[in-house]
Amino acid sequence: MKKIILSITALALASASYAQTLDRSIRPKAGPAPEIKLGKTESFTLPNGMKVFVVENHKLPTIAVSVQLDIKPELEGNKTGMMDMMSELLLTGTTTRSNDKLNEEIDFIGADINASHDGISGRGLKKHQDKIFDLMSDIAMNTKLTQEELEKVKTRTLSGMEAEENNPDQMLQKVTAAINYGKGHPYGEVATKETIKNIDIAFAQKYYSTYFRPNVAYMAIVGDITLGEARSLVEKYFGKWTKGNVPVAKYADPKAPAKTRVIVVPRDAAVQSVVNVTYPVNLQPGTPDVIKAKVANSILGGGSNGRLFLNLREAHGWTYGSYSSITQDDLKGNVTAYAKARNAVTDSSVNEMIAEMNKMRNATVGSEELQNHLTNMSGAFAIGLENPATVAQYAINIERYKMPKDYYQNYLKSLAAVTAADVQATAKKYIDPAIANIIVVGSKDEIAEKLKRFDGDGTVEFFDTYGNPVKAAEKTSTAATANVTASDVMKKYINAIGGEKALNSIKDMKVVMEGEFQGQKLTLTEIKKAPNKTKQIVAMGAMTLQKMVFDGAGGYQEAQGQKQNLEGDDLKDAQEKADILADLHPEKYGIKRTLSGIEQVNGKDAYKVEAVKGDDKTIEFYEVATGLLVKKIESADMPDGSSISLATEFGDYKEVPGSNGYKVPNTIKVPLGPGMNMDAKLISAEVNKNIDDAEFQ
Amino acid sequence: MKRKALSLAVFAALASLQSQAQATHIDFTEYELPNGLHVILHEDHSTPIVTTAVMYHVGSKNEDPQRTGFAHFFEHLLFEGSDNIGRGEYMKMIQAAGGQLNANTSQDRTYYYQTVPSNQLELTLWMESERMHYAKIDDIGLETQRKVVKEEKKQRYDNTPYGQLMNVVFENAFTTHPYRWSPIGKAQYIDQATLSEFMDFYRTFYVPENAVLVIGGDIDPVKTREWVNKYFSGIPKGTKPVPRPTEVEPVQTAEKRINFYDNVQLPAVIMAYHTPKMDNPDYYALQLLTQLLSQGKSSRFQKAIVDQQQKALAVGAFTLPNEDPGVAMMFGIANSGISTEDLEKAMDAEINKVVSSEISEEEYKKLINQAENDFVTQNQRSSGVVNNLATYYTFFKDANLINTELEKYTKITRADLKRVAAKYFTRNNRLVVYYLPKSMEKK
Repeated sequence: MKKIILSITALALASASYAQTLDRSIRPKAGPAPEIKLGKTESFTLPNGMKVFVVENHKLPTIAVSVQLDIKPELEGNKTGMMDMMSELLLTGTTTRSNDKLNEEIDFIGADINASHDGISGRGLKKHQDKIFDLMSDIAMNTKLTQEELEKVKTRTLSGMEAEENNPDQMLQKVTAAINYGKGHPYGEVATKETIKNIDIAFAQKYYSTYFRPNVAYMAIVGDITLGEARSLVEKYFGKWTKGNVPVAKYADPKAPAKTRVIVVPRDAAVQSVVNVTYPVNLQPGTPDVIKAKVANSILGGGSNGRLFLNLREAHGWTYGSYSSITQDDLKGNVTAYAKARNAVTDSSVNEMIAEMNKMRNATVGSEELQNHLTNMSGAFAIGLENPATVAQYAINIERYKMPKDYYQNYLKSLAAVTAADVQATAKKYIDPAIANIIVVGSKDEIAEKLKRFDGDGTVEFFDTYGNPVKAAEKTSTAATANVTASDVMKKYINAIGGEKALNSIKDMKVVMEGEFQGQKLTLTEIKKAPNKTKQIVAMGAMTLQKMVFDGAGGYQEAQGQKQNLEGDDLKDAQEKADILADLHPEKYGIKRTLSGIEQVNGKDAYKVEAVKGDDKTIEFYEVATGLLVKKIESADMPDGSSISLATEFGDYKEVPGSNGYKVPNTIKVPLGPGMNMDAKLISAEVNKNIDDAEFQ
Repeated sequence: MKRKALSLAVFAALASLQSQAQATHIDFTEYELPNGLHVILHEDHSTPIVTTAVMYHVGSKNEDPQRTGFAHFFEHLLFEGSDNIGRGEYMKMIQAAGGQLNANTSQDRTYYYQTVPSNQLELTLWMESERMHYAKIDDIGLETQRKVVKEEKKQRYDNTPYGQLMNVVFENAFTTHPYRWSPIGKAQYIDQATLSEFMDFYRTFYVPENAVLVIGGDIDPVKTREWVNKYFSGIPKGTKPVPRPTEVEPVQTAEKRINFYDNVQLPAVIMAYHTPKMDNPDYYALQLLTQLLSQGKSSRFQKAIVDQQQKALAVGAFTLPNEDPGVAMMFGIANSGISTEDLEKAMDAEINKVVSSEISEEEYKKLINQAENDFVTQNQRSSGVVNNLATYYTFFKDANLINTELEKYTKITRADLKRVAAKYFTRNNRLVVYYLPKSMEKK
């Protein structure tokens, strides 16, 4: 009794004394580094060849299972994109479960099950482990790939691609893959709309039946399960999975360029550039260089403590973020330094990125900086171990990449042993801007010239998003337009579509176009009546989606069942649209045009004309040879407050019957949103049919 | 011989029962310092890391209506530094210690946490104690954070599609209770706030008796208590009682409908039904009902409205875990060409089914299975355990709900679900928002 009282008093005294004497300015020192124990992994192999790794972790009554395929599939070639679709296709039903039934059974046990082209994963409560294995094995062995589901996934994929088409980071990612790895390597295969359209169900079925085989599969099972339980579940559900002859494809060996290449991917009207300084490297998993290279990368650009971030964002304020990465890969890794920067500082940013890369090679890292990165990395390693799946993955990596058995056991020791000299030597070996592809997606007119100085030959190459060279219309040429003005271009255009006389003879007109968007047919109807009436309708079947009517004095817009009167700028726009002769007197609508040069549109020279109206700027392209308007770029405000450019393309001009030679485009590529386009075709065009005024009510 | 065999069997049975119970049980100890700071320790040596967190029982509902956004702004200020931690050093110190950190503010509480290798525990305790009482709040910090918070508001609310959704719902669903504004608040109020107001807020709400300190992971409990004592026991209690809002939201008697215009491409329909507070048994039933409507591909909204009728691009339903009576929300983003009226009808049809007929035994089992899965997996990582212990303590004063809360779900019957749906999913009890593109606004 006495003892307890004493200890309470002691505690009270202690707390009182802390309150009075604690020197709060003393920062606590770290205790001795804790011993990091990796969970134990056990393994066995099924007669069908599947290698299974089990990590018991009884903290919670849950299990997580993953199947990983160690495969080197044939290149996809002109059907690239099928493998990416597998994540959706593999969950659309099996020979024993319909799509709905599969969804219901997964939801019923509250589990998560996902798939990809080279694996399947599932997690849930231990008490449902039988069902989880049952569902996963059904997907691995019996997926029924149907034409119907493939078509649905293709449609979604295509509209997803449209939505991303103009997204600078997506563009950069695709072109980087294509340039670094090339078409002869799986990492360099980039899907296009054409390759997606080429995919047939037989191609997907062949892939599934060839590569989803146990003899190339690793399975990780982690959680509240014993080795014995795991073994009997695996045997019960995956024992029937039959071996197959799984071919191993050979790929080209991608190389870094001999000297720096500057590659620009033009993006119309971009205000920011996205930049990768990048090249392929050979960094095999588990080799001694890997840890040192990761330390070097952490210092260069691993996060908000990396030099790229501290330089480009903190010191210069040029960018929201700048980072780097070095990837280990048994096929081929890469080194990449990334930044997003405003047009005006794109070249300065590239310059600093190169300087930071060179500094890694040429100067020794300071001891405090090195120590902070080492501590941060060992902390991240320890925190990662909390997830038992990490440990199972380590076991699979050791087996798959033939790494030293004690690689991860010794990871922290190896990390702590990395010296400043190691970092520099490794940087010299792997980090070298002199053999890099400097890939920039941005506004070519504003950035290309200034990037020349970084190129080994002093030239800039132009590529499209898919890694194909585009004709080097390097900078909009102004020389060719010395004696031409915007008003000449407009005169030539008016003549090309039939001349003033033809335009003046049009009393009314009706143009109907049709296109398809996400499987739905859209009809666009435009009616005009001289001098100042118009009606425009966008319809899906019998349903009107959007309507604009203007009767010369006033009008309204209607969309989604909401109607509103035309006012302000909308009213002014309607007046211009209603005027068949608007192009003959642009000044009436406050439009000023200036010619800024000649550029190529779809491989043909076109005059580039800027049409300014108030705050709005539209860029128009008139083909030099024919005089016809072939492309128009307008800007639109996006929900996130940014502004994007929308391009409309016009082609195949044909005369309207009975019109004195008036011509309209028979094909129009209509922008529907960021990167979403619809190819519309002319259905009918008529003039002077005495359209009733009642149409415009 | 026989007896021994029997007892062995009994022992084996007991042992297996015990191991089952242990598998789902989260152990912890709790105590209070003389200054009122509640401390919870959770020991788990499976990974040599530790999470230190402090939850303060203060959120936007404690704000002056003329100073909305204050609590969240204050969270930012408390990363600026202290008497002994230089400006901007807070994050760098944790990173250099190999750790990760963050914080967030809701209507009801403010939460700070960091996960570090376990040999850095003392550092985090010192840093959190500095934050609790010795933070440096000055004009330079105020100006820096005013810019940062305004940027955050722009990025996360103003420039995000449907980013104003919560604001619109709470502003219109509540007339009296301080839930009528949201944690991000109005920018101008932050400009108006003075240094003395911030100090007053600090001394009123950031007091030990209004906080819970939770430490979970690879800890030595004796050593940990010693450090907690060392750094926190000297922090004085507040000098006045912590004020709590007393406003009671009057019962809504007629459906409210509003149109809200924002920079979005597709119209959305949002419904918000008033709910009881989260310790009410009906709240748990509402949670299951929202799961029924939108959790998983086989859920009712998902299957009927997205897959079969293709009227919505996305749907959702969820309850908001508020300390005082809050709302359950449902939303649908219309597919192009679908009117808001049409989508609302489709959502109403599904809601009416839940109100008018009992769900099947099969569906009921699914809901319980999902609830169990979610309940168990929320404790997957020790940072999750720490967060849950802090939350259960702050709002229920019962940290052990981390082991028992599931019972509140399993007690609910199919009949309860129908009764609760009929009671709360009524037109008079709801707000309907049409969240529309700006282009549809009548000028």
